[in-house]
Amino acid sequence: MEIKAEKTCAQLGYSGRLIAVEGIDGSGKSTQIYLLQRWLELQGLKVFFSEWNSSELVKSATRRGKAERLLTPTTFSLIHATDFADRYERQLVPLLKAGYIVLCDRYKFTAFARDTVRGCSPDWVRRIYNFAALPDLTFFFKAPLEVSLNRILQGRPQLKYHEAGMDLGLSGNIEESFKIFQGRLLKVYSEMKSEFGLIQINANQPIEKQQENVRQCLAKVINLGQYELDKLS
Amino acid sequence: MTAKRKPAGRRKATSRVKSQAPLDKSFLGHPLPGIKLSELTGRLIVVEGADGSGRSTQIRRLVDWLEASGHATTQVGLKRSNLASEELESAKNGNILNRTTLSLFYATDFADQLENIIIPSLRAGFIVLADRYIYTLMARDMVRGLDSEWVKSLYSIAIKPDAVFYLKLPAEKLIQRNIMKNQTLDYWESGMDLGLSLDMFDSFLQYQQLMADKFEEFRKSWEFTTIDADQSMNALNQELRCNVERVLG
Repeated sequence: MEIKAEKTCAQLGYSGRLIAVEGIDGSGKSTQIYLLQRWLELQGLKVFFSEWNSSELVKSATRRGKAERLLTPTTFSLIHATDFADRYERQLVPLLKAGYIVLCDRYKFTAFARDTVRGCSPDWVRRIYNFAALPDLTFFFKAPLEVSLNRILQGRPQLKYHEAGMDLGLSGNIEESFKIFQGRLLKVYSEMKSEFGLIQINANQPIEKQQENVRQCLAKVINLGQYELDKLS
Repeated sequence: MTAKRKPAGRRKATSRVKSQAPLDKSFLGHPLPGIKLSELTGRLIVVEGADGSGRSTQIRRLVDWLEASGHATTQVGLKRSNLASEELESAKNGNILNRTTLSLFYATDFADQLENIIIPSLRAGFIVLADRYIYTLMARDMVRGLDSEWVKSLYSIAIKPDAVFYLKLPAEKLIQRNIMKNQTLDYWESGMDLGLSLDMFDSFLQYQQLMADKFEEFRKSWEFTTIDADQSMNALNQELRCNVERVLG
């Protein structure tokens, strides 16, 4: 196994490129990556949006762990790392080697933020994810905490137990717990910005403005002409 | 056979129960959040060795002996967690997970037992007998080409055992014992997934040699007691008891 921690796909010699979006819930990152995908595919480029479809086995253990609340911060971290590794090894690596622009809604930084807030050692968590390459470009969507919270709390009142960080015992009230948890995540994300060279996008601007910003950044880093789909004769 | 065995060595049965003094515990590397090491007054005793080295039998006999002497025991092993054991078993049968994924899944199974069984038992003053521990897991990962620093860091959350006994038996003898017991060789214990040889017998010999080499390497960095498993069950158990007595204090 090659340790890839410090290397991007370009540095590893993969012909594909990995683009990730990160940020707390309600930062609008999923909308932005969808628009990015549309822009790339409508140009006829080899692009792939990676959804979190893990194999049944890992999913079944994760589901049970969550449903029965068997998870500690350590096992929460490890079961998600297992899930991530499964997706990385089965799906991302082959696509990256096949020359695709792979778009990821959340990548290992999500785990760094989440597990660290839960009390795992930051160094331990980072080392676990060493097997996965760094993205060639990571966008960090940052809006004021209140804005993100309002987007979520107005649109989707049904919060999930772990999503709200209820396992941390921050508050007995799920909405209150969600707010504190998201606030802590936002803080850790902000601290990771310089460590990993995340590109911050002001998520408090109009959708179009953010997308323009994202597309410009991407075009600067990636020579898009190289990623045209092979023409079928 | 069980009934014929003499309880508590050759000593007469006594009602006196010796209690053990606390022994310093430590994590191998990264500490787990929220654990007070000074509270862990029990003992963690690990028995390592390949299938056929007599591990399970020896542990069973140690448990009888310890309980006869008034010590409470807990047993742990690989693939026994509530969280991941079922799925790991299926993964083993289907060979569908990639190496890093499988490795992390085993680590999940281990961490679940560490936090939910091993640590609470040690806190309650129990003697925990582990039928294999992180060393087997690490050796398996390493001979499969995973980066050794990565593997060590992954398992650095483990509590350092008070004693590790490595039951050593040459690969040729292991083969004889496995065939005698199961009339066949196990796919994973033969390391067939490594592609060392298409011949299972050959592959078993090569794989077990690789594992033995890893353990030899581990023995130098961690304090292992290597025990020659090529002796009678009784003699082997006697040797183990002498060693366990030393850590009971």
